[in-house]
Amino acid sequence: MNLSTRVMLNRLTQQCAYKRIVTFSTKTAEHVIENKEEQKKAAPPTTPTPPVNRKPIIPANYRFVYPEFLLDPKVEWRNLVREKLERLDMLDRRKQIDLPEFYVGSVLAVTSSDPHAAGKTSRFVGICINRDRCGLRARFILRNVIDHQGMEVVYELYDPTILKIEVLRLEKRLDDSLFYLRDALPEYSTFDENMEAEPLEEGAPVPVNDIKVMLRPRPWLERWERQNLRGVANIDEYLKDKHRLSSAKVQKPWEKYDMMKDYRSSIPEEEQTEIFAEVHTELHALELQRKRNKRKRTFIKPKQLA
Amino acid sequence: MNQADVTKLMSQLRIAVRPNKRHLKNADGPEGRLLKLRKTVTALVKHERIELFYNRADEARGYAELLISNAIRHGDRHQATMELADYWLLEKQLVHKLFKVLVPRYENYNVSYTRMYKAPREYPGIYYRRSVLELRGNPYPSLAADQSQNRNLLHNVLLDEARKEFRRQKLSELVH
Repeated sequence: MNLSTRVMLNRLTQQCAYKRIVTFSTKTAEHVIENKEEQKKAAPPTTPTPPVNRKPIIPANYRFVYPEFLLDPKVEWRNLVREKLERLDMLDRRKQIDLPEFYVGSVLAVTSSDPHAAGKTSRFVGICINRDRCGLRARFILRNVIDHQGMEVVYELYDPTILKIEVLRLEKRLDDSLFYLRDALPEYSTFDENMEAEPLEEGAPVPVNDIKVMLRPRPWLERWERQNLRGVANIDEYLKDKHRLSSAKVQKPWEKYDMMKDYRSSIPEEEQTEIFAEVHTELHALELQRKRNKRKRTFIKPKQLA
Repeated sequence: MNQADVTKLMSQLRIAVRPNKRHLKNADGPEGRLLKLRKTVTALVKHERIELFYNRADEARGYAELLISNAIRHGDRHQATMELADYWLLEKQLVHKLFKVLVPRYENYNVSYTRMYKAPREYPGIYYRRSVLELRGNPYPSLAADQSQNRNLLHNVLLDEARKEFRRQKLSELVH
């Protein structure tokens, strides 16, 4: 008994010792690798080797579709860690609710929970007149005329009280923001509350609506004549010589050559690709999911006859 | 408000960019400021090395970098880039230099296209910081001191030791 156990123990210790002490390199020797390579070279190339580091292909329009994912252009307010965490939160929110692509000039319907509304939800239809702020604070303004009264609602895109965002008409306008609709005739910002969604063909470019609105006479909220608006038709009617002179005085024709101004207000391409490479896979998966859902919705089950 | 402007796409600069511009005191306002910077950028492209006040050099440096990077990015067939070059280079023969000399020179660079050094202040004189701004790859002798012959540098120490050892070996071979 004793002896046998001793022998066993000895053997075990020997084995362990043998295993532990490694007097040679565990890597494959160089000549072996070379031989293998030679063999590979000799063999006819049947299939092209796939590239090792495949970069995600980021669509060129992502910066227009998801501008709020980009960094804050104001460097003093930038915080890379916070913004990264916010991006994760934004993706999480987008997994919960479908936040569609829309632009300034698109007509949206937003359903949000409202404790004071009947049925605890309220739905507002309107034209998006402005989009601003970045990250989780991204927001947009909807405008509509209801009972001859102009109404505007500011929604935060990632607000958890928002239940549903529908794009009823996906289009762009000639200007970056449509605040001048506040001084335009009411028919230009009147949209039917029961408006049906106008579907756009898949893969088609977003149409630009080149409608020119009619302003109502002064007094106005802003000096529109100074802003070089492209979407206003009749501004000349209301201008006197003093307005023309003063607006000519404040024009800044040199600003389009001020490259550093553009650089400071935008995000350089390298940083954009870095950010979108981080969120691309998840955003793409969400887009595919949305497409699948759309197809499901359009399919109408035929009724059984007889 | 603070959402990035996405209409224009630019390459990232390889220099440190201040968050705000310097106003560069000027009686003609922002237009006069740009004229001042245009003169500096023109002089930089023309002479490739200039000495001037630090603030003006630092402001002009960004514009020169962006002008070159846009020229590399879009080439000479791009309308907007051509207009930019026409605006920023006051002497029109320099537009040719930008596209035919500087673009090929900097195409494969992965560092900044310009370099800035601090220059000594005059005493007694105007108490503004001075600097030297230059394009990389210029034909002038380098301004930075050449440290490669410093005998205390690690690689020089190692080379010295190697030389000594080689001599010792030769001597021992001669003796035996």
